[in-house]
Amino acid sequence: MTRPADFHLSPDDIDALLANDARDHTHAHLTACADCASRYAAEREVVERLALLPLASPAPDFADRVMARVALPDPFALHALGGSRRKLFASRRGLAAAASVVLVLGAAMAASIVWSLGNRETLAAAGTWLGNEAVSWLWLAVRGAASNLMEQPWYDRARGLLGAPARVAAISAAASLAYLGGVLVLRRLMALPRTGVAHAHA
Amino acid sequence: MSERREGLSAATDQEIVALARAGHEPAYRELIRRYERPLFSLVFRMVRDRELAEDLAQETFVKALNALDSYRPEFKFSSWIFKIANNAAIDHLRRRELDTLSLDGSPHAETPEAIEATALQIGNRGESPLDAVEAKELGGEIERAIGLLRPEYRSCILLRHVEGRAYEEIAEILNLPLGTVKTYIHRARNELRQALAHLRE
Repeated sequence: MTRPADFHLSPDDIDALLANDARDHTHAHLTACADCASRYAAEREVVERLALLPLASPAPDFADRVMARVALPDPFALHALGGSRRKLFASRRGLAAAASVVLVLGAAMAASIVWSLGNRETLAAAGTWLGNEAVSWLWLAVRGAASNLMEQPWYDRARGLLGAPARVAAISAAASLAYLGGVLVLRRLMALPRTGVAHAHA
Repeated sequence: MSERREGLSAATDQEIVALARAGHEPAYRELIRRYERPLFSLVFRMVRDRELAEDLAQETFVKALNALDSYRPEFKFSSWIFKIANNAAIDHLRRRELDTLSLDGSPHAETPEAIEATALQIGNRGESPLDAVEAKELGGEIERAIGLLRPEYRSCILLRHVEGRAYEEIAEILNLPLGTVKTYIHRARNELRQALAHLRE
């Protein structure tokens, strides 16, 4: 759209000029109209002055003061699931998927309860058989692990080391000290920031 | 440690927010490091009081970082946190305006000068003596001219020409129609041009 020569530039035209995005006719008007050229120069100067304004900095302990009042989330807490829950229920498809899963789970649970009530003897027999099998597998695993341990080249030396009560006591003491040291280091690493609420000072 | 910080520096805001939501403390500190200066500068220029600006900026960060779950990653994090900061500053300015609204001056004023100083000043957006002290720190004619603008104009012009935000983003931050944002910026620039006219003569 062309603008009559007796019109002045609009604020949008000035915007376009300031953003180096003006059309040819706007530039042409600027060279022909002293009023608009003067106004544009003044606005450009304002914009340049604004762009040169420095960023101000808060006090150096600003981040610490903020962090002292921020509650870090526990990723293992139940409420941490809130985000996923919101995301799941955000769309119809998610809602339908969640409803289907609940329906299938509910139906499966109801069916298993009904079946269990009608087949108590079968369930008891299956339970006994499973228990026996589990015990025999566990015993087999313990025996296997023990024989593996005894075949190790360092087994005799370790047994000799643990043979004397004084050595056992020394090893226990060293292990306890190492554990205590580890706990102290962990506590220091996981210490929460101080809880006091500080006020801003210049 | 520095490698981890470098890794965070290269990450996008959205990635850092995801880490923060998982309870990663350095991610929180990275968000503060990125935005403390631009956000504090905006609030400082809005309220023109350093101590108050620190309190408002602190409140903004605490509010935002404690509500990261409500942040929607499809929007820019910067727009979200600037919106909270701007609302805090505008709310404060509105409250202050109401607090000082008295036709006959403060009931605690005892001298004629004090009564005059605390009386209702309709249409006077000039700086108080305290503002003038703060403006000294803000320095320069342009800072004083910004202080004379209406708060809405001030937000718009600072976000546009100091922060370099696009009109659409400013509209989102200030919750205003795009046309209103443009009008405010044009008027603000016009007022600044007039306020600084003496420097060009």
